[in-house]
Amino acid sequence: MPPSIHPVDLISALRQKHLTPAIVFLTSRRACDEAMEAFDHANCVLPTTRQEAIAKALEQVMARHPSIAEHPLISIVQRIGVAAHHAGHLPTWKIAIEELMRQGHLDAVFATTTLAAGVDFPARTVVITQSSIRKSRDFTDLTAGEVQQIAGRAGRRGKDHVGFAVITPSPYIDLSVLTKGLTGQPEAIDSQFTISYPMVLNLLKAHPHEHIQGILAKSFAQFQLNQRAEVLEQKLDALHIKMEPFGPRVCTDWITQWHTFDHARRHRHTRHPTYRAEPPEISARLPFLTPGRVVGFSRGRGIVLRQYRSKGQRNSMLTVLRPESAVTECPVTSVKEVYDRTYDCPETSAYPWCSTDTFDRLSHQLEELPLRLPLLPILVSSNNEPLPDAIVQSLEDFSCPTCPSRSACQKDFLTASRLRQEQQRHTKSIQALRTSLWHRFQERVEVLQTFGYLTLTTQLTAEGEWARLIRIDHSLLITELIRAEAFTGADPSLLAGILASLAHDDDRPGAFPRISPGLSSLLGQVRKLAESLSPYEDPPLLRADVAALVERWVADQTLTWIGLCRLTTMAEGDIYRLLARTLEYLSQVQTLKGTHAGLAESASQAITAIRRGVLEELP
Amino acid sequence: MTTDELEQLLAQQPVAVLHRLARGRVQRHFRAGKRRLIELLLQHSSQNRAGFESDLLTLIGERQAGPTSGSPRRHEAPPIAHKKAAIRSSESEPSDPPVSLTEWLQGLGVPAPQPFVQDPWQIEALAAVSETDVVISVPTGSGKTYVAIEAARRAMEENRSVIYTSPLKALSNTKYAEFSKIFGPDKVGILTGDRQENGQAPLLVMTTEILRNLLYDAASGEIDVRLDTLGLVILDESQYLADPERGVVWEETIIFCPSQARLLLLSASIGNPQDIADWLTSIRSTPCRLVRHSKRTVPLRAGYLHPNGKLTPLFRTLGIPQGHPGHLHPEAKHLFMEYEEETLPSGRPRR
Ligand SMILES: Nc1ncnc2c1ncn2[C@@H]1O[C@H](COP(=O)(O)OP(=O)(O)OP(=O)(O)O)[C@@H](O)[C@H]1O
Ligand SMILES: [Mg+2]
Repeated sequence: MPPSIHPVDLISALRQKHLTPAIVFLTSRRACDEAMEAFDHANCVLPTTRQEAIAKALEQVMARHPSIAEHPLISIVQRIGVAAHHAGHLPTWKIAIEELMRQGHLDAVFATTTLAAGVDFPARTVVITQSSIRKSRDFTDLTAGEVQQIAGRAGRRGKDHVGFAVITPSPYIDLSVLTKGLTGQPEAIDSQFTISYPMVLNLLKAHPHEHIQGILAKSFAQFQLNQRAEVLEQKLDALHIKMEPFGPRVCTDWITQWHTFDHARRHRHTRHPTYRAEPPEISARLPFLTPGRVVGFSRGRGIVLRQYRSKGQRNSMLTVLRPESAVTECPVTSVKEVYDRTYDCPETSAYPWCSTDTFDRLSHQLEELPLRLPLLPILVSSNNEPLPDAIVQSLEDFSCPTCPSRSACQKDFLTASRLRQEQQRHTKSIQALRTSLWHRFQERVEVLQTFGYLTLTTQLTAEGEWARLIRIDHSLLITELIRAEAFTGADPSLLAGILASLAHDDDRPGAFPRISPGLSSLLGQVRKLAESLSPYEDPPLLRADVAALVERWVADQTLTWIGLCRLTTMAEGDIYRLLARTLEYLSQVQTLKGTHAGLAESASQAITAIRRGVLEELP
Repeated sequence: MTTDELEQLLAQQPVAVLHRLARGRVQRHFRAGKRRLIELLLQHSSQNRAGFESDLLTLIGERQAGPTSGSPRRHEAPPIAHKKAAIRSSESEPSDPPVSLTEWLQGLGVPAPQPFVQDPWQIEALAAVSETDVVISVPTGSGKTYVAIEAARRAMEENRSVIYTSPLKALSNTKYAEFSKIFGPDKVGILTGDRQENGQAPLLVMTTEILRNLLYDAASGEIDVRLDTLGLVILDESQYLADPERGVVWEETIIFCPSQARLLLLSASIGNPQDIADWLTSIRSTPCRLVRHSKRTVPLRAGYLHPNGKLTPLFRTLGIPQGHPGHLHPEAKHLFMEYEEETLPSGRPRR
């Protein structure tokens, strides 16, 4: 069995079941073109009346768009009533096919999935052959929205009772992507807001700096950030409620007070500073391994009676109460778990380091512990700064040891401080969510100040005044090139060539036509500058081949469209798009006539030179 | 409700409800204990008693309705529990027999010509757009263009100008031709970066980038197209808002759209149209109206065509079983498994 259905068989099958007209979505242009070749010698020709109708309709379109007259696919379109429609074709060709399809002359159009959103024609049937799409070099699965956009082309209002989406497999198809896409919900839109240099310049041109934050706040990005912040605020509210029992005691801020006291106390007890020997995950535990703490070992549990460190021992040591009132000494490293459970255990100065009463009570409590105990979440931080000596010295100043709420504080401290940490984390995230756009804006401002487009008081400088008119990708590179006088004296073809090397939207390199020394050295300069700007702006994929191609088109006015296409391996649709995008870039440069008369003039000459032949046919 | 009753009702609520009520009303409410919170809330309620009481009742209602409905309302995707249920139920196949190919193909054909009748959603959208911004989220091929054309016609009749944008030059060209046919070539213009055709016409077609640039120029005072008479801005295919590279242009355009002009956003179905509408409401002078539905006007059926030419329905049901991707037609399932067996090189793990 063939890996996928042959295009001729596909069309016969669709015709036989009256499922035409159909749009067949294929993965690549190559696949579309190959499908067309498959019809070259096929004998599934249309009856003459339909052939004539197509010829007539084509003639009408040709009158408006003469460039399609010599299209190699014309004969297949006329004889068989099928066509290909993808980005490799000229826009005029695509218009012609769309027109034929709308008038109902064609049985099938082979198109690429990439095009689904830009196609302005429906059909009775849509044929889907793949579940993934090529997006910037990689294949990614179609989203539910995309599957629905593609399948949605099926069923013309007023011309069909029903529409059909037919899946026919090809290797590597993932059927579940398609079935999920067909039966599921389209994805939610997520803001893709970014702050570009021209945006900053244009905003500051029209609004005072202090208004900008309010303007950025109007973005959908901020709207969505606020939604996230609101969710966090609800969590924060919940935390505030959980914190209620831990409100003010004798001290207004007993948590900090206890923390400092506890820390100081421990530091005085351990003669050797904790930061010396242990890895951070051990030393992070030390503060919690205080008398009364329940811990787990590889076998059984215990309650800490004291923590100490003796000379010659690498690790801090613990004295632990184990089941059946056993008392053992062990290194802290043997502790496997630290539980979120402590018992009151006032220390004494001699074995067993607590009073007999306490010892008996703890022994009993250890036996009674439930099977499951919550673990204590311990943050491991690498900079466990020791307290300054002053605090340790003034331990006597603390009122904690004699305070009536001492035991409550000792008991609650860990829960309360964990809640408070969580609160602080949420508060920080909320703040970040609310202000992140503004910070990104400020970063851009700083760069523009460094480069002299903005003054320190965020006014546009003379340079900023014109630079804000360049509102395209790589704007910083282009304005810096202009400031470096890279284009001074450059003729229109050179200017167009350089802009083309920035403007193309394609990463598939074509063949190299001969490149002029002038263009080659200028490209070198652009590349160098782009590299030096890379901390501030992603460098472009400079394509010398397209630069040379556009240079030729502008410089050699006798060059025909066919002649141009022969110079390269690029498809004519791609060449057209390249020139169209170059026109866009040139038109922005052209707006600089007030400050850069020569450059603007050069751009406008290039525009006139590019606009000929096929490029004259559409606005 | 008397103040005493209100106080009593408040006292009966858990603190969490009081805090939610206090948000946006009482500053630093989380610092207050329950008693104090009630006091503060009562104090505040004197400003807008009705609003306060209705909010309180909603909150109480939400609590009684169970925890899910109390969660933030914005997430329109079905909650996870629901999704899981959907998947589980897809495992247990329905007991009705699967559709046959003949049934599946039935009804195929061209409907008799019918007089044009506006769809209810089109009427709703057109009525709304004369007063406020409108977001339309309906499936492909529903007739969004009709709304755009009628809305443009009405605005022009009131001597207001209209801008129509699409994401793609190709689409702009098609619409330019289409609108010129409808309104007459003198009424429609097109703007590209380096060209203006009939740039003073009341209805201008352009890509969204060009409009964004116009709005920047207008903001800084230099402008060659008049925006003060602008009455309507139509953003077609506005699901491009989610485009990684170009989405930002739609946001800029919407942020800087003059306040006297109505915005009309047309999009194919998207997951969170309410979010978009809420966003517009939050930044524009009038509350945005959302017009949405997900039912296709021409019903869609899915089929499976085997490379050997055999055609079967894809799903057990005639239509597309929403939420049940697993309800495959046994024959389609069988054929596809066979296909995978044959095409997968042995040893390659199957997805
Ligand atoms: N109320 C109606 N009754 C019958 N046909 C209609 C109605 N409204 C629109 N149509 C027809 O529906 C077809 C599809 O409309 P349109 O192109 O506007 O779809 P759309 O919603 O813009 O879809 P897309 O997402 O593909 O852009 C058109 O042929 C149009 O004439
Ligand atoms: Mg449309």
